[in-house]
Amino acid sequence: MAVMSQYQPPVKDIAFLLEHVVGYPDIAALPGFEHADLDTVVGILEECGDFMAKVVAPTNRAGDEEGARWQPDGSVVTPTGFKEAYQQYVDAGWGSVPLPEEFGGGGFPRTIGLIIQEMMMSANMAFSLCPLLTQGAIEALLHYGNDELKQRYLPKMVTGEWAGTMNLTEPQAGSDVGALTTKAVPRGDGTYAISGQKIYITFGDHDLSEQIVHLVLARTPGAPEGTRGISCFIVPKFLVNQDGSLGDRNPVHTVSIEHKMGIHGSPTCVLSYEEATGYLIGEENKGMRIMFVMMNSARLSVGTQGLAVAELAYQQSLEYAKERRQGRAIGATEDSPIIDFPDVRRMLMTQKASIAALRALMLLNASYVDHSLHEPDEDARKRADEIVGLLTPICKSFGTDLGNELTSLALQIHGGMGYIEETGVAQHVRDVRIAAIYEGTNGIQAADLVGRKLGVRGGASVREFLATMREVDGQLADAGEQFASMRAELKTQLDALEQATMWIFQNGMSDPNAALAGSSPYLRMWGLCTGAWLLARAALAGQATGDPEVAETQLVLARFFAEQILPQCSGLLPAVTAGARDLFALDASQL
Amino acid sequence: MSHVLVLVEISHRGHIADSARGLLALAARLGDPVAVVATREPLADDVVAKLGSLGAAQVYQGRSDAAGTALVAPQVEALAAAVAALSPAAVLVSHSYDGREAAARLAVRTGSGVLVDAVNVRAEDGRIIANGSIWGGNYLVDSATTGMPVITVRPGAVDESAPQASAQVTAESVTVDAATAGVIDSYNDAPEVSERPSLLGAKKVVSGGRGFGSKENFALVEQLADALGAAVGASRAAVDAGYSPQTTQVGQTGVSVSPDLYVALGISGAIQHRAGMQTAKTIVAINKDADAPIFEVADFGIVGDVFTIVPQLVEAIKARSA
Amino acid sequence: MRIVVLVKQVPDTSDVRKLDLNTGLLDRDAGEPIVDEINERGLEAALRYKDDNKGTEVVVLSMGPENAIKSIRKALSMGADSGVHIVDDSLAGADALVTSLAISKALERTGYDLVVAGNESTDGNGGIVPAMISERLGIPLLGFLVNMEITEAQVSGERQGDDGTANVHAGLPAIVTVTERFDYARFPNFKGIMTAKRKPVDTVTLAELGVDAAEVSSLDRTEVISAVERPARTAGTKIDDDGTAAATLVEYLATNRLV
Repeated sequence: MAVMSQYQPPVKDIAFLLEHVVGYPDIAALPGFEHADLDTVVGILEECGDFMAKVVAPTNRAGDEEGARWQPDGSVVTPTGFKEAYQQYVDAGWGSVPLPEEFGGGGFPRTIGLIIQEMMMSANMAFSLCPLLTQGAIEALLHYGNDELKQRYLPKMVTGEWAGTMNLTEPQAGSDVGALTTKAVPRGDGTYAISGQKIYITFGDHDLSEQIVHLVLARTPGAPEGTRGISCFIVPKFLVNQDGSLGDRNPVHTVSIEHKMGIHGSPTCVLSYEEATGYLIGEENKGMRIMFVMMNSARLSVGTQGLAVAELAYQQSLEYAKERRQGRAIGATEDSPIIDFPDVRRMLMTQKASIAALRALMLLNASYVDHSLHEPDEDARKRADEIVGLLTPICKSFGTDLGNELTSLALQIHGGMGYIEETGVAQHVRDVRIAAIYEGTNGIQAADLVGRKLGVRGGASVREFLATMREVDGQLADAGEQFASMRAELKTQLDALEQATMWIFQNGMSDPNAALAGSSPYLRMWGLCTGAWLLARAALAGQATGDPEVAETQLVLARFFAEQILPQCSGLLPAVTAGARDLFALDASQL
Repeated sequence: MSHVLVLVEISHRGHIADSARGLLALAARLGDPVAVVATREPLADDVVAKLGSLGAAQVYQGRSDAAGTALVAPQVEALAAAVAALSPAAVLVSHSYDGREAAARLAVRTGSGVLVDAVNVRAEDGRIIANGSIWGGNYLVDSATTGMPVITVRPGAVDESAPQASAQVTAESVTVDAATAGVIDSYNDAPEVSERPSLLGAKKVVSGGRGFGSKENFALVEQLADALGAAVGASRAAVDAGYSPQTTQVGQTGVSVSPDLYVALGISGAIQHRAGMQTAKTIVAINKDADAPIFEVADFGIVGDVFTIVPQLVEAIKARSA
Repeated sequence: MRIVVLVKQVPDTSDVRKLDLNTGLLDRDAGEPIVDEINERGLEAALRYKDDNKGTEVVVLSMGPENAIKSIRKALSMGADSGVHIVDDSLAGADALVTSLAISKALERTGYDLVVAGNESTDGNGGIVPAMISERLGIPLLGFLVNMEITEAQVSGERQGDDGTANVHAGLPAIVTVTERFDYARFPNFKGIMTAKRKPVDTVTLAELGVDAAEVSSLDRTEVISAVERPARTAGTKIDDDGTAAATLVEYLATNRLV
């Protein structure tokens, strides 16, 4: 289908990372993934990318310009083209790829599922949220639902015929989810009557699917305070009859939708539950555990949103920089395309290298998810799970922080045109902004890294990972002079990261506030080091391919990142080790 | 001199196709032109006279009851019979819908190579050489065959005419094997909407792109075309959007044109579009995007709004001719 | 009913295509190889018939170098049942006569009720191979169709002509060529891609098709005598419209006797 698309799926870059950097062949060798060899996977990704570029990407502008609309009858209508694109998405089966074959999925690794998400998010971030939330609900059901619930809901959710949502937030319970008050009263027939109001419900209602399956956190009567008293329920928009057909409308209604800065195509709903029928997932008061299952997965996906929107904005700014002629570059005899100016080059290289680093980081995390679930050896699974725990807050925060910074650079390249909505690049800046906020703000991610993840196995888990990163040093030493500067910088910066880590170990227990004060810059140090480390590995792998073009591209990206971006890392060390003194030295009234 | 056969297509309404003039002119350059026709009835005098005036010294008529109802096959039989009778040096056929198929089928009969979409032919060292441009004129290619060539010629590529001749008619009955031919049930003639020239072989072409935004706005393209006496073309994007019929599509997968003047209105100039028009002698482009690639091939470009400029152009051209 | 769809792998038209100036042949390394879009439209037409008529078998047939298997797999992932790949080093640079001979032999071997081809490829633009196949197989050709209806016994549709269209039909077996008026092809879906890996592809050489070297050498050959790259067009005058651009353009046209 010959629809022009702004988005060019970076399947070649992805295939390179899979094969040479994040060890995909090892995943394909795990039991159960015999059908998911690299060739098959790349073939699938090419077709999927083509689909996202030609079917989903053309809906992106209309989604932003029209936005989702709340109708006076309480229903929600999605922007032009969403419904048709979603139907095609369901027909194509892209959502089912990483889900279990038992329920109609393709049984592919999570890593592949994440790449499909990335391409869909680039094509249209707002649109991609519907399948993303559906996948979250599916995972909760898979892990904690009883057989009856699974058989009733999963097959149609796996195909995408039914969509899902996640209902956590309430007006007084945002980052502090334990403050929620939605009630779940047992009816004695096994079902519960759910009552309360939920806000910020992504795709809480829409016209893309016939059924919406809400996952709702609520309290049963007499449940303990805080997070220990939260239970998780399924509340379908339409009750499901014994034969699987849709029955009565459940009393859950959309009271309004939010007017947001970005992702206009995604309806963010206020949902009112009025004794709606709900079905308990797992046990009462164990709702938070279920949420934690989904949390790593959802946070990695949101981190990938930062990458995905940055990729789209980068592609657009690169095209613009090639075409826009302004002034003369040094030595030019006629007007130059702005790509010939060094500062524009800097912005482009910063985007390209950072995007490469982020993608490697996201895929590395995803690959450890697969190892954590499928390694035959229990210790190997455990270790992989630790690494997932460590990398997830880094992926989420660093990915979305860079998402903001890189889309802003893409806009900057457009000059004044970038600030004008018609150009389309402003949309990316607005769209990606939310990713640093939702699914646990980036500050909460940093606190998670410092407060939970550093302490795993008394700090041994982190130290082992740092040691793994240092293993690249020997390979860089053997790789020749071209790799020397990268090697030296990586060593310097890993030293700084280790120093920061030691400081937190030494001070965190006695003065947790001091450790938390530096948590965000500390997380960024991790992002910079892991990114540079993975790019260095990519450069080594590029050299090993014997393809001079690949070798050059990978070398330059890694060297640029190591020499010109990574050094920020040690610059952050003082902020990490400064403690909380000056943050609290002024009274709130003085701020 | 040896004979050179030209397949003259005669429409179901009895009209001699426009391609006949140029084909006979090329044939006259290579040898004695023979017009080959396939018809059911004897040729009317005026048709014979017209063929003579176009340079055919001889008309070879393959008569078949299937002419007009069997698809292409009667022309193939007529050509095959003429080749057998006259042992020509070459067979020239229009690169039209019917022509290409007739050429291809004939070539299998005679085991001949086909040189497609030529814009010129010449005899050199006893060989007949066809010259054509491929991929939107990016390359110019001379080609030849080892035996008698069957050459299809791009419609509108030839400007010259052959010297007039007085045509002698040879009529032979030919037999069509009904099992090997498609059947024509009826014709849906395009309504003759205007005096506007057809895109194929037009001397001037005005094309519009998706920038017009609607079928109604696309009328501006037609107005300028009519003011210039030009054919109407369209980019693929405009065709896909339904502003203009598919038959007007200029480009890689549409019609390739080589007019004296090509005016691109609101067309960005994707590589596939340029492939269909960049051999035009003069290219004019109007586009509000100063960076549109069409300007890279335009002899005269205006960065501006087609909705403002085109009405002004129409007025100015009308004022000149008034 | 067995429908055989002819598929040609061509360089993507959105890439710059190169001619090897020494051989006059397509430089296949320049430009991403893809299924020619017109063939995808033909495949879509065949698949729609299959969607509505159980028991229909859709076979894709391609002649091309080894990597043309990729195009066959793509067609299989869209829903074709099996593939035939004619691959033979001696076919490199084959002209239409040879190509049509090889494909005709393969069609006889595979068997067919209806053959669906594109009206012309984007790399050759000849549009003559299907007609040659019809002649070789002695079956009717309905070329340049703008629409098509298939029944058990015949195929019919509107054929594009110079002055409009004609309604045409032919009894089966027959060969048709489709034009851009046919719909875009469906996207391969995930399940289709996975099952495509298990669908059979018959890879055949000329010898296996019984194409006799003597027969090939008895045919006239077309040869490229010379090929030159045309110098790229250069941009001429470009002005911003300040309200007088239309008048300036008319003067320009008048000077060049174009108005």
